[in-house]
Amino acid sequence: MSAEFNPVTATDTVTVPDTGLDEDDTPRRYYDLDETGFREVPKRWRKFYRHWQGPGDELAPNEVICPVCKVVIRSRRELRPGDRVYCMPCMSRLVVVRHPDGHLEAEVVY
Amino acid sequence: MGGADDEAWEPHLLEEDDFLREVQSFSFWFEAVEGYLEDRPMGFDPDLTDTHFEPAEREQLITLLANYCVGETAALEASSGLVRLAANNRSQIFMATQAADEARHVEVFRRRLAALGVSDVDEVIATRANPALIEFRRHLLAFVDEGQWDLAVFAQNVLLETMEDTVFRFHQSTADPVTAQILEGVVADERRHLGFGENDLGRRLARDPARRHDLAQVRMDLDPLVLNSFEATYRDLGLRRDEFPDLGRSYLEAVERLGLDT
Repeated sequence: MSAEFNPVTATDTVTVPDTGLDEDDTPRRYYDLDETGFREVPKRWRKFYRHWQGPGDELAPNEVICPVCKVVIRSRRELRPGDRVYCMPCMSRLVVVRHPDGHLEAEVVY
Repeated sequence: MGGADDEAWEPHLLEEDDFLREVQSFSFWFEAVEGYLEDRPMGFDPDLTDTHFEPAEREQLITLLANYCVGETAALEASSGLVRLAANNRSQIFMATQAADEARHVEVFRRRLAALGVSDVDEVIATRANPALIEFRRHLLAFVDEGQWDLAVFAQNVLLETMEDTVFRFHQSTADPVTAQILEGVVADERRHLGFGENDLGRRLARDPARRHDLAQVRMDLDPLVLNSFEATYRDLGLRRDEFPDLGRSYLEAVERLGLDT
């Protein structure tokens, strides 16, 4: 991981408001992603993943943890229930769901 | 459909078949491992200065590495045999990359043993191997010899790889710098293996739910062998039982997702 990047404190930059509407009629936020030092996929895909730092590593609205391999999956857009994401490091296909406590998580789709 | 150079493009927009074609390709594997191994020819930075070990620490590490060699050699032999059993070319290619990964793991662990002053690596592995792990290897290779792809993939890619992943991560956090770098690369490889295994089995069980019965039987036979061998690893790491990290948690989570927990 690069020396400058601290995933616990870093936030991605919101750049483009979306015109699309989600379940609660609020526009999605979009994010510019930077590489975080994750090197386990080919270079063109690296910015879409990062290592999870454990408890205290708060996820951004565009991030979910892969339940299979525990890598953080990142999207250019704010994630919402029903979104599909892929974990390239472990080759899993996932769908975003809302946990009863309100946070977003990913479930494997076989 | 956009391309990788488009500002709005991201891998999550790939069609599912395109995603699988991308991640189960030889070029994906090659570029992935190049990312974390290009400056670590034997799994670690050659400029790294090795630690001075006290005799007891050295013996402890030799026993750990000898057992890692047993597990990785079993996976090398099984995954190379599974290439022939794979249902399609994409799975064949993936399993060939896994065989290459396992061969590398065997090589880097054996070289680490030699660097620790072990003159006869084969003899050390033979005398220090945990009997439970040897027994697990016998079962795994029997599944391959019988052409039982799903039982072998469960034993190797779900059971063995998930528990290795847990143990290697823990050992990485406490190991000397050279061993820690070697383990870091191995853990990165294991991510692909355990993910392939769970997803391949998940798709198969969705088509043939009755097969869960056979896999549950394999669990009953093999879970204790792998648990016992890795609990011995924790003891070799100097931990008391009440200090053992939760060895089975990731594995049990995978088993539950696959519906094999009853």
